[in-house]
Amino acid sequence: MLMTHVLDLQFGDRIVTLMAALVLVLQIAMVTQRWIVIHIRIFAAQSFFLAMIAATIAWFNHAPHLYVAAALTLVVKVVLVPILFERLVKRMEIHEEIEPIVNGPLSVVVAGGLTLVGYVVAESFYRADEPGLGHNALAVAISLFLIGFFTMINRRKALTQVLALLSLENGLFLAAISLTYGMPMIVELGIFFDVLVAAMVLGILVYRIRETFESVDVSRLRRLRG
Amino acid sequence: MLLIALLLVPVATAVASFFARRRAAMEAANLVGFVAVFLIAIVLAARVLAAGTVSLANGFFYSDALSALVVLLTASVALVCATYSVGYLRDDQQSGELGDDMSGMEQMAQLRMYYTLTPLFVFSMLFMAVANNLGVMWAAMEVTTLASIFLVTFYGKVTSLEAAWKYAIIGGVGLSMALFGTLVAYYAGRGLTGSQAISGLNWSVLAQHAAQLDKTSMRLAFVLILMGYGTKAGLAPMHTWKPDAYSEAPVPTAAILSSALLNCALYCLIRFYILTSRCLGAQYPGRLLLLFGLLSMGVSVPFVLAQKNFRRLLAYSTIDHAGIMAIALGLGSAMGSLGLMLHMLFHTIAKPLLFLCAGNVHQHFRTDLFSKIKGGVMRAMPLTGVVFLLAMLAIVGMPPFSLFQSEFLIVRAAMVGGHTLTGVLFVLFATGVFAGVLLHVGNLVLGPSGDAPVAPRRPWRDGSLLALASALVVIAFWVPAPLLELVRQAARVVSGQ
Repeated sequence: MLMTHVLDLQFGDRIVTLMAALVLVLQIAMVTQRWIVIHIRIFAAQSFFLAMIAATIAWFNHAPHLYVAAALTLVVKVVLVPILFERLVKRMEIHEEIEPIVNGPLSVVVAGGLTLVGYVVAESFYRADEPGLGHNALAVAISLFLIGFFTMINRRKALTQVLALLSLENGLFLAAISLTYGMPMIVELGIFFDVLVAAMVLGILVYRIRETFESVDVSRLRRLRG
Repeated sequence: MLLIALLLVPVATAVASFFARRRAAMEAANLVGFVAVFLIAIVLAARVLAAGTVSLANGFFYSDALSALVVLLTASVALVCATYSVGYLRDDQQSGELGDDMSGMEQMAQLRMYYTLTPLFVFSMLFMAVANNLGVMWAAMEVTTLASIFLVTFYGKVTSLEAAWKYAIIGGVGLSMALFGTLVAYYAGRGLTGSQAISGLNWSVLAQHAAQLDKTSMRLAFVLILMGYGTKAGLAPMHTWKPDAYSEAPVPTAAILSSALLNCALYCLIRFYILTSRCLGAQYPGRLLLLFGLLSMGVSVPFVLAQKNFRRLLAYSTIDHAGIMAIALGLGSAMGSLGLMLHMLFHTIAKPLLFLCAGNVHQHFRTDLFSKIKGGVMRAMPLTGVVFLLAMLAIVGMPPFSLFQSEFLIVRAAMVGGHTLTGVLFVLFATGVFAGVLLHVGNLVLGPSGDAPVAPRRPWRDGSLLALASALVVIAFWVPAPLLELVRQAARVVSGQ
């Protein structure tokens, strides 16, 4: 009886690790992606795997409230936000990212380095006496956070920066479910509400910047100084 | 009940303004709403003074003296700014500042946005101050950003979009760090009983068991929190959004951002500081706070000295004061905490006053640049000139004004606590800011007058100016006993003594 339980957990850990790896790969794919629509879809796919990780952890750890978090991720980040942003892209008629500050191959190397940093930081949280799911997931989460941060600095289009901010938030979500099996329900709800509203607000802001500047190149926002 | 009313009134105000069809109705809704919020805040403060803490819904809402003080200050600033904005926005509408080619309908839509978002903004700040759950506190803090972004873009100019973009992105990254920190703090408390339940993130629970929190995690959590909420408070080097947002937002919004929102961000820092210092001792979080505080004070000095734009000057002064309060918190002693709470109170009176004066000057001269105004504010608008001068003397810490008392207390706490270097640098930086502000604002008000016409009377704006100015003068000599007691109790919450 006990044996099967442990096996179960190990099996769950493997699934989580596999999907966390996919999430990380998608994040690195985002770093180099230049087509904004594809960028949005990669984000949706990444969020989908995150929802699956949440559901897996909920199943193997008997944490039913994580199912709600998984469902909310599906609704908000896989469906609503991508639809919203794709519409925005259509209306603004911008499809391609201009050259990032650090070029493609080099930014992949940087992302790799940041992943390494993520593993080093996550190591300090790992305790052998506390077996559980998602040791790798935490390292991936911290890497997502750092790579998202890097992408924000590296990109110049306003919309890509927003997507980077959202993927950074994905990293936080992954950290939340792998560290503590999710936050209390009310907090999860609050966070999802905030993410949705933030995506909308930032979308409107991007649209207005586009209308005013005839461009969403944020490197042109340079009037306020000193 | 009281706490529910405190939160429901601003929401009702926002709804009423949203559906109002005439400008007068929106103005009335806002005024009535904020008067009600102010009265409720006073009652809440009285209750807290009598009972120690007020909590509701199984401790979901929780208010001790610290929250009550922040709520009271937020409500007062909101009331003064609501009064001021009546006159301010009417002037904007008449002079075509809202947009030259705008129809009446579009102008109404813009006013509606202002009068709807401002109560929501205030609501989120009040919610944050009475939320016990650290995650809910974070969510409310995020809502403050979301509610105020479109207040910053109010004028729809190129520069205001730029300011709003910086505000949104820098604030967004900062708050995601704060969320990470909150998460790690939750993880640090996983050993406590019932941490899977909602109470695991309740501050009052965590504070009771702070000694049992996981030390490594708390170390990381505090750094993330300091970076995160420090961004909202505008501590250097995360301060860059501040001058832009303050100089582009409508003046009443800027006044709220620079005082009430700053208090709220500091409030979040204080809550985590209490947890961390009880878990790890006061030295670790204290050193970090002193570092960021001194950096903020230091960074603001050259920008104040070389400033060309008076609203940006006020923003750098706010960064300076955020630094002062971070230092006071970092000292960790009972005297430092008392200095912190007094400074928060005094700053919340003086800073909005400066912004309101700056708003009057801006609307009269139609510019923010010292070089274009040259001087003569005193002749063109005597009342604004006098009040501007008084508030400026107060903000740089001239005796007899009250900020001198709190800053003196903080320096003394630094010296007594053995932080001699901090004390010396504090005085040095404060002197730099003193010189800069005195030079610029002194010239602006007293300098040779140009040919600007004398301003007409402005009942709404001058009324709120006078009310706040008399508060500033009165509090320099006499702090009402209940208010002082509230400040003392809040300081006791911070220092734990």
